[in-house]
Amino acid sequence: MVGDAPPVDRMTNSRTPVLLIAALLAPALIGLVVFRLYPIALAAGDSFFNVLRGQRVFVGFDNYIALLTDSIFWNSLWVTLWFNLLINPIQIALALGLALLYVQQFKGVTFYRILFLIPIGVSLPTAVIIWRIMLSQDGLVNGVLGIAGVPAQPWLTAQSLALYSIIAIATWKGISYWMIFIIGGLQNISPEIYDAAKVDGVKPWQQLFYITIPLLRPTLLFVLVADVSINFLLFAPIFMLTQGGPADSTNVLMYEAYKSGFIFGDMGRAMAIIVVVVAILLVIVGLQFRLLSGKGAR
Amino acid sequence: MSMSSNPVRQGLSLGAKHLVYALVAFVFVLPLWWAIVSSLRPNAEVFADIFPFTAKALLPSPASLEAYTGVFERGFGMIIANTLIVALITMAAGLVVNGAAGFAFAMFDFKGKKYILTAIIISFMLPFEAIALPLYTVTQQLGWLDNIAALIVPSIANGLAVFLFYQFFSQVPKDYAEAARLDGVSWINILLRIYVPLSMPTCISAALLLFIFQWEAFLWPLLAMPSQQFKVIQVGMAAFQQQYQTIWNQLFAVAVITALIPIALLLPLQRYYVQGLAGAGIKG
Repeated sequence: MVGDAPPVDRMTNSRTPVLLIAALLAPALIGLVVFRLYPIALAAGDSFFNVLRGQRVFVGFDNYIALLTDSIFWNSLWVTLWFNLLINPIQIALALGLALLYVQQFKGVTFYRILFLIPIGVSLPTAVIIWRIMLSQDGLVNGVLGIAGVPAQPWLTAQSLALYSIIAIATWKGISYWMIFIIGGLQNISPEIYDAAKVDGVKPWQQLFYITIPLLRPTLLFVLVADVSINFLLFAPIFMLTQGGPADSTNVLMYEAYKSGFIFGDMGRAMAIIVVVVAILLVIVGLQFRLLSGKGAR
Repeated sequence: MSMSSNPVRQGLSLGAKHLVYALVAFVFVLPLWWAIVSSLRPNAEVFADIFPFTAKALLPSPASLEAYTGVFERGFGMIIANTLIVALITMAAGLVVNGAAGFAFAMFDFKGKKYILTAIIISFMLPFEAIALPLYTVTQQLGWLDNIAALIVPSIANGLAVFLFYQFFSQVPKDYAEAARLDGVSWINILLRIYVPLSMPTCISAALLLFIFQWEAFLWPLLAMPSQQFKVIQVGMAAFQQQYQTIWNQLFAVAVITALIPIALLLPLQRYYVQGLAGAGIKG
């Protein structure tokens, strides 16, 4: 993807100001190395240690081996995967739909466009607080559903509903943001293609599935990768709403790692979980990048 | 889009269009609207008119500002000030640091450039949450726990901001820089006099990005400030939620304040924000 960087011009070759380049790059690179790369190396290192009575003890792969037979970990892994299998396709499909609405031109569309952007300004913790009260037993959602005769539901306290309520909240908060990237992709499609399709009598749904989505592929894959990365590590709603419950039904790996390290003081296990999470994430992202650089990518 | 000549059909399809848009917009606006309405009610009235549901539930009557004064009496003004300090310093430093890096990538060719740039892009694809727990250990080693530096310094370098600047500076015709170089203008002056003024839209979208990133930060401030003497807004709000579970109207007031400040920034500048990020998606 960096491949389509502009051709670097000739003039810089002869007398490249090395010191200047170094000075310009140093702050950003030092920041990224110290606060992004080094912590990952540190996590990998710390996952081979345990702290026993204040002493740091090297335990090899013990933390990882312990995870293998740890039913809480396996449940947590399953919850994380199931959560992501649902939320990512839902968010991307809705973001695409929203982007298609956003780019239409008609009188008054600007007003709607502004309203579509509102969740971007609402942080996830804010959304969580508002939705928690809206989803409470005597809250607004149950009130509105009550008009249709639906009995009040325990959205956040029932084992069968809590995970899906979190998906709904995160989706409400997230899709406006992903919409923006898709808008960029849509604006990049030349209008002549649509004109030609119209002349050929292509129906709107055919246009969507055979023209728009294939041409959006690079953008959609970018959004997919970024969205999966965020949802795989989602933390705030679980921390604020359910603390992993009820009955561990929302206990995603990120929360399990936090609990391990900061509630039970077992940093070795926490780091091992983080390493596993990041490793799984990298495999998923790697697979997606292979799709990204496959046919259809520019 | 439709070429239909029948005005009745056209009017109908326009009506249907507005209906669809209004429904979608309603879903986005409702939570915030209800929060605003509820924050203006006395606490005992927050759940009024919901069972059975009537439209009055969406109107702030009776209205009072009691919840807002209550929130500030509990010290929320301090929390807002803290967050603004953190976010504004990060924004200012981030513009300089990431802008400089983006400029270097766009203007010069050097060994390993492609790899460094790829590493930077991957670093921003990997969310902050992934490194938050190990970053705690780094911060401990630096002795920065409970220090405001722990909130600011790790967030200054931002891969997405570097990429936005890189992308923008790459599009500026090289003739400008070449002509200036021939006239003996130094690189620093080329950057400051030519490129920075040109890049104002990118600066705005990068500034918004950095500001919103800090405004929304939750997990990291939760870990990095264990004594909770210096609270930023998301953590303060979560703590408020745990502490004052049933003071609904004040909870809503806190949520509304927390949401309205970034929205007030975003709405007038949305054009830059949307164009900036939309461009990043295509290139990425």
